[in-house]
Amino acid sequence: MKLNPILNLHPLTKLYFSLFVTISVIIIPSYIFAFTWFPILLVIAIIAGVGKQYLDIVVKALVLLLGIVFIMQLFFYPGDQVIGEWWIFEATKEGLQYGLVLTSRVLAMGSAFILFFRITEIRDFVKALEDLGMPPMGAYIVLSTLQIIPEMRRQAHTIMEAQKTRGVETEGSLLIRAKAFIPILTPLILSSIASTEERAITLESRAFSAPTKKTSLHKLKRSNSDRTIPIVLLILMISLIIWRFFL
Amino acid sequence: MKNIIEIKNMSYRYPVSDDFCLKNITFSIQKGAFTAIVGNNGAGKTTLCNAIRGFVPHFYKGELAGEVIVDGKQIVDYQLGQLGEKIGYVFQNPFSQISGVKDSVFNEVAYGLENLGVPVDEIIQKVEDVLKLVNIEHLRGKNPFELSGGQRQRVALAAIIVMDPDILVIDEPTSQLDPIGTEDIFDVIRLMKERGKTVLLVEHKMDLIAEYADNILVLHEGALVMQGPVREVFSDPKYATFNIQYPHVTEVALNLIDIGVPLKFIPIRNEELPKALKMEWEENND
Ligand SMILES: Nc1ncnc2c1ncn2[C@@H]1O[C@H](COP(=O)(O)OP(=O)(O)OP(=O)(O)O)[C@@H](O)[C@H]1O
Ligand SMILES: [Mg+2]
Repeated sequence: MKLNPILNLHPLTKLYFSLFVTISVIIIPSYIFAFTWFPILLVIAIIAGVGKQYLDIVVKALVLLLGIVFIMQLFFYPGDQVIGEWWIFEATKEGLQYGLVLTSRVLAMGSAFILFFRITEIRDFVKALEDLGMPPMGAYIVLSTLQIIPEMRRQAHTIMEAQKTRGVETEGSLLIRAKAFIPILTPLILSSIASTEERAITLESRAFSAPTKKTSLHKLKRSNSDRTIPIVLLILMISLIIWRFFL
Repeated sequence: MKNIIEIKNMSYRYPVSDDFCLKNITFSIQKGAFTAIVGNNGAGKTTLCNAIRGFVPHFYKGELAGEVIVDGKQIVDYQLGQLGEKIGYVFQNPFSQISGVKDSVFNEVAYGLENLGVPVDEIIQKVEDVLKLVNIEHLRGKNPFELSGGQRQRVALAAIIVMDPDILVIDEPTSQLDPIGTEDIFDVIRLMKERGKTVLLVEHKMDLIAEYADNILVLHEGALVMQGPVREVFSDPKYATFNIQYPHVTEVALNLIDIGVPLKFIPIRNEELPKALKMEWEENND
């Protein structure tokens, strides 16, 4: 995994690429162009070794959304070239056209960013933002939230177990589980608030607000690809704009 | 010798409470001394630590009277950030002493040095040394959130001593540790003393205090009721009135004296009891 050429790219390079995909589908109106992005992104994910998870997330996150968007446009986009009928609804050619454009764009943008988060460690991304000048407090908030969520989930689980031993029903239908969840909220929230104060002291004992410039063991590498890819993307972007608006 | 910590007529009340939980406290600590703070639950030990570290009044507001002077300067004149390098504070609850932003014990221990702006090569060297010292090398790659209470206590101690502060304030560092773990921690603390650090330790395990500490401060309901060298405090009959534990051997010795077995002196360490009996015996048989 350490040697994977895609995973090893600098987080900003990956971000530039996702932005490039997003902007390109806005510039180029063709839905065929926009739909082409998805297979390309999938190939990248496969090379990065995360193809299966990536496909999984895209399907879960986007397919239903895209389906709904497409049907809404197909039947409700104003137009008069009727191409089909269903019950009291009429599908129009304009609707079909616009539905395809919209879904292709959403698919390209959505899957580009899903790919970004799939192949970028948040920790690296935050570090990249810090290098760009994000204040340490901002970085702290993002990273600690990231770490504390699984911790809270664990804690919730412990409290649930404790309540189960006291005879509270915690398994069964959605309603039963929802009911069981409410009483754990109070201890969960109270204990998080109490630990916030101590956490602030912990940070302080680790010299968080020391009046010096911090150093970091975590260094992001910038390879040759990280220098060339952004330039290539920029040139492509400018060519796309010229081709679209001036030719 | 120079007093590195000086506290004069200090009283403190937490913002929401009505009573003062530290009352008119006066003492001083010499550079390089190892001082134990003892007292029952709620006596104010942790609050006293907070006052020395400057969390009272910089973090916990409330009402503070009197003076707290660290290294010749009033605590109120320090900025909170400056004190981090001077005073290391390991506090009571091992579960909240994790920065929450690091994914391995190694990085967790390095965090303080990063904040102090220490160059990376130096950080790596120092962290390696401390992991060895505190005996947690095997945990280096583990997620700090997935450690047991005792392991967290060791990591918390390591994360502070790696910053190499002149003064160490340590609040019950062994509450989650087994006997061997406890001995380990005390070895580390003794080493810190040998390196010239000033150590303040809150601890309930009196046997270990008798063995390692130079002086004791006894807190009772917020007042500093006794202070002095460990031996003097434990042999003072006044100590018994506060219902605080004795070292086990002292307890036994006091019982012996109670039933009429005379002792030459009051022992505070295990090996001293036979000595005290023998001295008494020899005197009687001369
Ligand atoms: N954050 C706080 N706000 C208000 N009152 C507090 C706070 N922390 C402690 N107290 C009160 O101050 C008093 C002294 O508490 P402190 O924590 O210093 O005791 P302690 O000697 O450390 O006890 P323990 O052995 O249990 O750790 C107690 O009566 C406690 O209720
Ligand atoms: Mg305490």
